[in-house]
Amino acid sequence: MGSGRLPLMTIGAEGQAAAPEVQTGTGQYTSGPQVWLWTLESGLRVAYERRAGPGFALDLRIPVGSAHDPVGLQGSAGVLEEWLFKGAGGRSARALQDAFDDLGVRRGGGVGPEATRFGVSGLRADLPGALALLADVLLRPDLPDSELAVLLDLARQDLEGLEDSPPDLLAVQARSVAFDGAAAAPFAGFAHPASGTPEGLAAITPTSLRDFLTRYGGKGSVLGLVADADPDEVHALMAHAFADWRSGQHDLVTARFLPGLRSHLPFEDGEQTHISLSSPGVAPLHPHWLHWQLAITALSGGSASRLFHAVREERGLAYSVSASPVVLGGQGFLSTYAGSTPARAPETLEVLTAELGRLPLGLTDAEFVRAKTGLTASVVFGAESLRARATSLTRDVAVFGRIRSVADLRGQLAALTLNDVNAFLEGYDPAGQATTVTLGPAEVGPADAAAEVNHV
Amino acid sequence: MSEFPTPTTQVPESRVPETQLHVLPSGLTLLLEPDPAAQTVAAGYFVNTGARDETPAEMGASHFIEHLMFKGSEALSAAQLNERLDDLGGNANAFTSEEATVYHAAALPEYTPALLDTLTHLMRPALRQSDLESERGVILEEIAMYADQPPVRVIDELRADYWGAHPLGQPVLGTVETVSALTRDALARNHRERYGANEVTLAVVGAFDPVAVLAWAEAELQGWPAAAPLPTPPLPAPVHPSTVRVVHDPSLTRVQLALSLPGLPTTHPLREAAVVLADLIGGENGALYWALLDTGLADGADLAHLEYRDTGTFEGGFSCDPDRAQLVLDGFRAVLAGAADLITETAVRRAARKMAVGTLLRAETPHGRLFTLGMEHLAHGHPSTTADLVDRYTRVTADDVREVLRLCPINLVAEFPPTVVALGPIEALK
Repeated sequence: MGSGRLPLMTIGAEGQAAAPEVQTGTGQYTSGPQVWLWTLESGLRVAYERRAGPGFALDLRIPVGSAHDPVGLQGSAGVLEEWLFKGAGGRSARALQDAFDDLGVRRGGGVGPEATRFGVSGLRADLPGALALLADVLLRPDLPDSELAVLLDLARQDLEGLEDSPPDLLAVQARSVAFDGAAAAPFAGFAHPASGTPEGLAAITPTSLRDFLTRYGGKGSVLGLVADADPDEVHALMAHAFADWRSGQHDLVTARFLPGLRSHLPFEDGEQTHISLSSPGVAPLHPHWLHWQLAITALSGGSASRLFHAVREERGLAYSVSASPVVLGGQGFLSTYAGSTPARAPETLEVLTAELGRLPLGLTDAEFVRAKTGLTASVVFGAESLRARATSLTRDVAVFGRIRSVADLRGQLAALTLNDVNAFLEGYDPAGQATTVTLGPAEVGPADAAAEVNHV
Repeated sequence: MSEFPTPTTQVPESRVPETQLHVLPSGLTLLLEPDPAAQTVAAGYFVNTGARDETPAEMGASHFIEHLMFKGSEALSAAQLNERLDDLGGNANAFTSEEATVYHAAALPEYTPALLDTLTHLMRPALRQSDLESERGVILEEIAMYADQPPVRVIDELRADYWGAHPLGQPVLGTVETVSALTRDALARNHRERYGANEVTLAVVGAFDPVAVLAWAEAELQGWPAAAPLPTPPLPAPVHPSTVRVVHDPSLTRVQLALSLPGLPTTHPLREAAVVLADLIGGENGALYWALLDTGLADGADLAHLEYRDTGTFEGGFSCDPDRAQLVLDGFRAVLAGAADLITETAVRRAARKMAVGTLLRAETPHGRLFTLGMEHLAHGHPSTTADLVDRYTRVTADDVREVLRLCPINLVAEFPPTVVALGPIEALK
């Protein structure tokens, strides 16, 4: 394995980093692939895009994530997802895994703060087989009591592993500082990792998890599918596979942001100091969503973007620096991250804050054009691979309530002007409301004492 | 007839068009794989050089050069180059491995001329002293970032033990000392000697006009400087000491363990069978999973087959609680010892099919196909179609996998023990 010029992952302070997305106005499919959106009896919505090719990809998003863990039972969503695969539909855990492997399919997914995802991709002829196995896992799991102790212990190991991974530890800490835990009640909310808490794991029982599984169901769930098959057959296949699924529960966990806080978590033996700034953003259904996405692209979308240029190119302060949009509780947040060795960290924080602070002054014309190009390209690239497209179909329906076509998104972007974006930015101040969390060997003080005095 | 074809164990033919190979008069190789049905175009310069071509004093030079390439040419400043790359849609990146350095980007088809022009500017770096100093800071931060990641640290320690003085034991990033000491002269010399036209392949995949791109390449890449072949000093033999070493770090909460055993080189005809063997042992549904993860003894355990020009390894490891490290290591060895029993017709067919389907679906986007095309060409000196690659997996038999085990007796853990390094809050292992 090699070492890349750019870090492969951006580290968000909260939740899952969302790819830049744009919102469409009216959903018109004038060109491009054909899409269908069905609602099945359980409430499950299926978004299907027909596309020529040998493969299929499906992505099922169930709106039950670690934020839905009941208070005192943190870790439920994560452990449940593992438990489901310990045998289903008359197959043992091992026979189930062999059956997936016999199809040559690739599985993906996992537990996020707001949803649990199940992804499968493979050859088109194997879609019915793969779907039947997935339905077994969700509708007919064995849930053997005897396996639970091992799964709880694995979650405990995962949790302890966080202590050895400073950026992950920072992400957890940043969320627990920036969001009011009490606002999420009766849910545990966003303050803990998907692996749970030691107390939560100690309290989870087979009964509590079987209770928790009743949250899973069609209501709020979305299945995105890309394949080359007759839509009637696909519909019949889905209706059959999920015929007996319960409705489940669909709750949005409240994410109440706490602005302007500052916190440091000591990490004595770390090589770097890790810096996170969380700020409010724009909600997916807000008319300024697209304006915000474009501004974030100018801030952190490429090698000429503001953060990359100011922190890395100009000053060489960090290898990894980024700002990403995150959606939690139906709202948007901006999550900014950089990692620098301790001596440089104060300057890095200062530069990050300054860059966020000058966003209200607006973008230049060149920045605007470049960000538009980048966002347009990301829309096309995001729809190119089957798996990426299946995921975006699911996300479209779950977050935006409809399927957004590439052509439509490109049209929306083309219509946006520099004046629109700058008018939005005039009223957007992510620096002023940022909550800053650092983790490293030393607290991050001001870079320049004189400058601090001047502020006073 | 049903829309869904009857499932078979066969993997369908890929629709990927023919690959054109052109060697330009300068010696540079051009690989063109046009696909009119694609929605994007991807291009990459694949340079046949990496960290193993460095002297010990210049460790990290290949990776440092890779970073400096993005700092502009004589005609473009770093900022201008970055702006041009972003104008393509911001999909440009690069990576350095032991044997290859790759610069790649993808764009919408209408940007093809700009894509090729900008990538080619990137390949003619100015290597300015002022840019070098700020980028040195970035690389030192990158080294510090990985030093905070125990799974990366343990692999570096393992490779140092396993390879000894062999250059595959050198960390790709170099060390704080070597990166701090690398001068502009040394970097410029490395670049001159290792980026000659004979060592460079430009691959282009996706929606583009191959006639136009060939004409462009003949005009624009004709003056690419040649370089004398690098001297090939005799390589020190890999040490493979079969030792068990503990790197004691009381600040960690868990143990990371890595181990290595001899494998096969990239060019070996049983290379795919070696990958299948690694999957039977250490894949997602492999024996290690069922022995160590399903039982909760470890929260991660794997084994992979790594291939280089002239050699290969089976490399793997696990992470676990400190007080379980010996138990898990013993369990890992027991799985290796039982490897022969894992090789059944059913298990091999299952694993091989999974690899074949994965290969086929990875080729689905131009950017995905680009890497396979370029890297296979670097390894074998000729391009391989997706259909070839898929076929090589579907043809793997249980006998092939048994032959790999005969050539690389990783199951004979007593006679040929793995080289092991453990990192964490423990004092000793055996």
